[in-house]
Amino acid sequence: MTDHPAGADELIFTRVFDAPRDLVFRCMLEPEHLTHFWGPAGVSTPLDKISVDARPGGVFEAVMVNDADGSAYRMRVIYDEIVAPERLVWTDPGSGMTTTSTFTDLGGRTEVRIHQARVPAPMRAPEAQAGFATSLDRLAAHLARLASNEGGTI
Amino acid sequence: MSVLDATFTALADPTRRAIVARLALGDATVNELAEPFDMSLPAVSKHLKVLERSGLISRSRHAQYRPCHLEREALDVAADWIEENRRIWSERFDKLDRHLRDIQRPAKPHEEDQTR
Repeated sequence: MTDHPAGADELIFTRVFDAPRDLVFRCMLEPEHLTHFWGPAGVSTPLDKISVDARPGGVFEAVMVNDADGSAYRMRVIYDEIVAPERLVWTDPGSGMTTTSTFTDLGGRTEVRIHQARVPAPMRAPEAQAGFATSLDRLAAHLARLASNEGGTI
Repeated sequence: MSVLDATFTALADPTRRAIVARLALGDATVNELAEPFDMSLPAVSKHLKVLERSGLISRSRHAQYRPCHLEREALDVAADWIEENRRIWSERFDKLDRHLRDIQRPAKPHEEDQTR
């Protein structure tokens, strides 16, 4: 996982997969694939609890079940854009956060770039992340810089 | 609105971030906080109320100038959320990597990773 420097309101993760772009794109869109990886470690996403309405305005919903205690979390987002095999965009209507997945063909391998926009302020830049995680003083400096650079706009 | 939503909403504004940054250095009065900004005291007070409601700052009820105090635990909650978000994508991609190896295995016979 690589975290790139990002703009003020965004957060970016990238990963390169040893697979062709069409296949990686389908993995991120089709329940039969999503069930294998959508939950993080220790969390399952049963196939019958994933629903994908793959069109702009359609709903992507998944229930993630904690393997240890059976507790469940329902994720529900709305697709904004589906451009096979290049781009997937969805928005979480709860937080307003938009997630764009971009698939780049690297000649047999595929780079997936997850771009989260309209991210809540503390997530926005690597300096802020580091600041929150490790040092409030670094955060303070970063926030001060943001405040002085932005001139009141986000 | 959850506590976390309130925290993020409070920190979405650059003036409020600057106030939080200032308070990270130590407690301050409304007058001290207003000084670096070209803002009226009522405008600053409004920002302080949002921060106070989010739990990010507290204000003394007793001292004459009611100094503002940064509640670092509220920031920790936000930090935990960031780490959680990063962890989820990282672990999700670890699993996707394994899944892609599994389904492509016939085409790539010398794959070493046998885990599922």
